[in-house]
Amino acid sequence: MAKDVKPTRKNLMAIEDRIELSERGHDTLEKKRDGLIMEFMDILDQAQDVRSDLNENYDEAQRKINMARAMEGDVAVRGAAAALQEHPELTTESKNIMGVVVPQIESSKVRKSLDERGYGVLGTSARIDEAAEAYEELLETIILAAEVETAMKKMLDEIETTKRRVNALEFKLLPELKSNQEYIEQKLEEQEREEIFRMKKIKAKKEEEEKAEREAAEQEAEEAETVTADD
Amino acid sequence: MSQEIAVIGSPDFTTGFRLAGVRKFADVPDDDKAAELDDAVQGMLTDEEVGILVMHEDDLEHLSRGVRNDVETSVEPVLVTLGGEGAGSGGLREQIKRAIGIDLMEED
Repeated sequence: MAKDVKPTRKNLMAIEDRIELSERGHDTLEKKRDGLIMEFMDILDQAQDVRSDLNENYDEAQRKINMARAMEGDVAVRGAAAALQEHPELTTESKNIMGVVVPQIESSKVRKSLDERGYGVLGTSARIDEAAEAYEELLETIILAAEVETAMKKMLDEIETTKRRVNALEFKLLPELKSNQEYIEQKLEEQEREEIFRMKKIKAKKEEEEKAEREAAEQEAEEAETVTADD
Repeated sequence: MSQEIAVIGSPDFTTGFRLAGVRKFADVPDDDKAAELDDAVQGMLTDEEVGILVMHEDDLEHLSRGVRNDVETSVEPVLVTLGGEGAGSGGLREQIKRAIGIDLMEED
């Protein structure tokens, strides 16, 4: 706090430098925060679209698999599910949005043709094919949602950190530095006033002494004059 | 490195995904969710081959506080939830409220 700093001109200059630097940093961080929020808004729109697609696809996939279950029986559906040979694979690349690294997920083997699925065509029905297709579509949307939502999470983290830094500068560091600056300025002013007062006192004292000396000298001269007149 | 999609949930939930070729899955019957879901989720979180974790939104209620927080904030693997009220995966809505200061998903 303000009482910890020594009120010297050197300290005042150092504090003024720090205030300037902090203010510049504050402005830059504020701009970064606003930029991040703008980017985030774009992603949010995208995320909301993906979310509604996701829910739609999920409902559709559920409807289709329930239909398959009802027509073929649970065992047949599970049997077909256990027979799958090809598995979807993901590869992740990264993209940089204002210093935040967000993933870009590439997928392969999500959509498969009938013969790639692995369960026999003869033993199963079109209902199962439809359900498998619906779930493949759902997986594609899930991958898209994962990409967008990871980007959102990372950007939100960055926004939070930046916001905290901006607030720390604005409400903690800068007020403290400014109060230190004010404290030193007031102290220095007080010292200056004391110095002036001291000088004035010394001057007055000196003038008094000089006056007394002058009077004494005058008196002496007068006395000398009267002595010579008497003679 | 290539990664995979993993699904955790009741057998009814996972079957469809297996039909689409998902190889990593954990079947947790509804009755055992309170006891087994935590372990299943933790197992998937530590599995480096899992890139995306798919769960039903309602199943998150069965998780203990710590695991739920881990899975909601995890980036690799990232959690995608289905069903529920459609406000975004896991704690995303809460996180937005905290970071931006406004509930941007209110209109949904």
